[in-house]
Amino acid sequence: MNGNAYLPQLARIIHIKEEVPGARAIKTFRVEFMNGGGFDHEPGQCAMISVFGKGESMISIASAPTITDYKQFSIMRSGRVTTAIHDMKVGDVIGVRGPYGNRFPVGDWKGRNLVFIGGGCGLAPIWPVIQTAVANRSDFGRITVFYGGRTSRDIMYAAELEKLRGEADVYLSIDSPEDGWDGYCGFVPANVMDKPQNPHNAIAITCGPPIMIKFVINNLREMGFADEQIYTTIENKMKCGIGKCGRCNVGKDYVCVKGPVYSWAQLKSLPQEY
Amino acid sequence: MVPVDDIRARARDLLQSGKVRAVLGYRRGTAGLLAEPAFMTTAEETAALVLDPTCVENLALYLVNEKKRMKHARQSDRRPLGIVAKGCDSRAITVLLQENHIRRDEVVVLGVSCEAGGMVDTRKLNKALRGKVATQVRFDSEGDINVSHLGGSTTLPARDVLANRCLECARAYPLDADFLFGEKVEERPYGPRFTAVAAFAETSREERSAFWDAHFERCIRCYACRAVCPMCYCDECVVDSTSFIVGPTTTADEKADRVRWINRSATRSENAMYHMVRAMHLAGRCTDCGECERVCPVNIPLRLLNTMLEREALEMFQYTPGLDAEQPSLISSFRDGDPNDFVR
Amino acid sequence: MDAILQKESLGRWIAKLQERGEVYAPEFVEDAWEFTKVERGASVELDHTNTVLPAKGFVFPQREVLYRFRIENGKTPELTDTELSVKPMVVFGVRPCDGRATVRNDRVFTCGVSDPYYQARRDSVVFIGLACNAPPSPNCFCVAVGGSPCSEDGLDVLMTDLDGRYHVKALTDKGRDVVNAASDLFQAATAADRNEVSNAQVAALEYPQRSISAMDLVVAALKRNFESPLWDQLARTCIGCGACTYLCPTCHCFDINDEVTSKSPLTGARVRTWDNCQFPDFTMHSSGHNPREDTGARLRQRICHKLLYFVETHNMQQCTGCGRCITHCPVGIDIVRIANVMEEGVWQ
Repeated sequence: MNGNAYLPQLARIIHIKEEVPGARAIKTFRVEFMNGGGFDHEPGQCAMISVFGKGESMISIASAPTITDYKQFSIMRSGRVTTAIHDMKVGDVIGVRGPYGNRFPVGDWKGRNLVFIGGGCGLAPIWPVIQTAVANRSDFGRITVFYGGRTSRDIMYAAELEKLRGEADVYLSIDSPEDGWDGYCGFVPANVMDKPQNPHNAIAITCGPPIMIKFVINNLREMGFADEQIYTTIENKMKCGIGKCGRCNVGKDYVCVKGPVYSWAQLKSLPQEY
Repeated sequence: MVPVDDIRARARDLLQSGKVRAVLGYRRGTAGLLAEPAFMTTAEETAALVLDPTCVENLALYLVNEKKRMKHARQSDRRPLGIVAKGCDSRAITVLLQENHIRRDEVVVLGVSCEAGGMVDTRKLNKALRGKVATQVRFDSEGDINVSHLGGSTTLPARDVLANRCLECARAYPLDADFLFGEKVEERPYGPRFTAVAAFAETSREERSAFWDAHFERCIRCYACRAVCPMCYCDECVVDSTSFIVGPTTTADEKADRVRWINRSATRSENAMYHMVRAMHLAGRCTDCGECERVCPVNIPLRLLNTMLEREALEMFQYTPGLDAEQPSLISSFRDGDPNDFVR
Repeated sequence: MDAILQKESLGRWIAKLQERGEVYAPEFVEDAWEFTKVERGASVELDHTNTVLPAKGFVFPQREVLYRFRIENGKTPELTDTELSVKPMVVFGVRPCDGRATVRNDRVFTCGVSDPYYQARRDSVVFIGLACNAPPSPNCFCVAVGGSPCSEDGLDVLMTDLDGRYHVKALTDKGRDVVNAASDLFQAATAADRNEVSNAQVAALEYPQRSISAMDLVVAALKRNFESPLWDQLARTCIGCGACTYLCPTCHCFDINDEVTSKSPLTGARVRTWDNCQFPDFTMHSSGHNPREDTGARLRQRICHKLLYFVETHNMQQCTGCGRCITHCPVGIDIVRIANVMEEGVWQ
């Protein structure tokens, strides 16, 4: 059945890293396609991950597009499928279909300052953009990364973020004070407010829980960012990934096709229902 | 005949005096012959209130839905809700009281007796009219049903067009009402209770099995039967995933381990499981308002399932649901003298 | 291409088509019309009002196995595709509203990434329409949404009942094929026949239907009223069942689930089933966040999808005016009234 969009490719888990422990654990999985399969992707795009017998979940692709020998997914243990993936070992086989959705228009941002603002698992969708920007460091101005978790144990990509400090300004936060934490204490939107960003020639990219995104956008607007300078992703519940099943529908858009990446200017034109 | 003006006046008075936050009654709809449920919040709106043989809906359902809605909307108006209730509807309210789902002071019951009448079954009516579109139905002085339709009017024997549940109704008036409209008519000119199920029970096991196989095959699992049932008030339903409640504190394991009793596929075996689970959960609780059967778009005779269990409850335990809010509920109580060991 | 078929020849035409595949036609089952497989062509009369379930199930069945999986302990999963060749199938008695629904479903399933299951069925199913030249059902409103009781859209053949005979017009290659399959049963249509058809069509349009007073303004009205408290008022009696969307000829939302038949080896199927924007968990995220939490938001979604969003994307309403969602709503929720209420901005 050539070209059947519902049929996943098989991919083997080649590496698992525990990012965050606990009830809402996050693990990063590297998978390599079997039988010569695979696909190219752009930063911001997603893939449907299958655990046979459990179902499928839409997960954003967290690896840089330039990496071709594996794809990386950072997955929070959240429901039936993600719990099953968390219980898998290196060598186990999952299904992957994609890539789905649009992309962050990184190419249009050359010469701009980039401000990334992530919370919780929301660092994963913007990570390929950060990777792309860093890999082409001279194409961009200042790069700033805000990221926060509930506690210090909830900080994903901790080592990678440390490594990033040479290339970008990194501001981490946790919700409430802890011994030994020298970063910001408080919610992500407050951390951004605490270190006001100059909107001039800048693009802000934010991803995280819906409530965080709402406050971050408010704060960015207050700092003078125009609607066109703010980008986010709306990760709605999805089943098909190809604009048929109707689940991710917001206004006239099926987010799996028209999104998940939107500028705030575009998002504002849709019904506020996500 | 119940004078509708009396009900309107009472509803108006309740709203005017601020004793209720709304009156839930019936008014003319636009979708067809049947009246539609209406929340009336101002005295003026009560002018539209109607009561006739098209007021089929069991409004007790909305006591359940409103509770959820108000919790969700964090509404602070704690005044009771006025509700128009027929005999079967009021028995449903009694079961809700008995199960502590609502408190008595949360409702003001405007009870209406169906007297010797009842509610029409639009399918029977359509058949009797052979395609003519009924625009209005009312009982005439003889107790027959007068039907107006485009191009004239016809009188039909009530027996031919009343809903089966009404033909078998033993108590067509509310037992527990704050205001009662109409007479408590004990003698009704129709058949005894359980007529349909008794006839069905006479058929062979193979015939019954084939009958239900054919019907369950046709079920599309729109869940209208469950959604319309005042007794199906569970926040989550064991049989499906469409109502699974997830909050910030629901753990991944709880979500992952949730038992799926049936698949989403509307196949015969899955559908049968759904209907059987629902019927079992209604044993000793169903007050035979017949709404499940009425709303089924593919006309599965669901009342047969529920009245079968009601008959069991009556014959084995002399139990009729919805008569007394103080009586212990059938499936959560036992007798010392029960012949079965497992209850002890 | 058009021709005349005497009514008494209908059974023989059906018998001829049964030699090539299955034939379906409306049958009165359990007090309701439904499409059933024809056993004897002579029993088909085509005097039905609209079926309770629309014709969409022939191209988008309520349950579709996408593929099967099998995993022996520790081994690589084996996936087996569903065989996508669908048996030829002819459906008689499709009303023009369901025909127009097919045009809309084609937009969803074949634009962009094509849906192979839908496409395979669509290629194999022949829809033979029957014009509605008798008085309409009480909740019919095809004219209000740009249709007509005699619309040819989305059909392969349109039949028009002309007292004792049918005018049969083939509209597609598939349609010409099913007519040619029994060409000896048909007579050439004369100018008088065609004249009679146009008279019937004119007469059909004159029957009163339910109307939406200012359809061209409804798009703007729905946009304007997105945040209106009217939605909560209109939905206050909604019981949240799925009758409206499951019976809708253009509702196409679906769910995908795994159905496991054995644990070891793990075998089962990935299955898609109809789903429903009126169910509470339809849009609920794994976190518990739900973009459409209450019946007001869900009713708004259904109406806006039909009369606003689809218009914005495809320049046509996704509603074809069949009236099923109105007729079968347990509590009388009425898309025609809602469209009018939104345009007028008040509801009493």
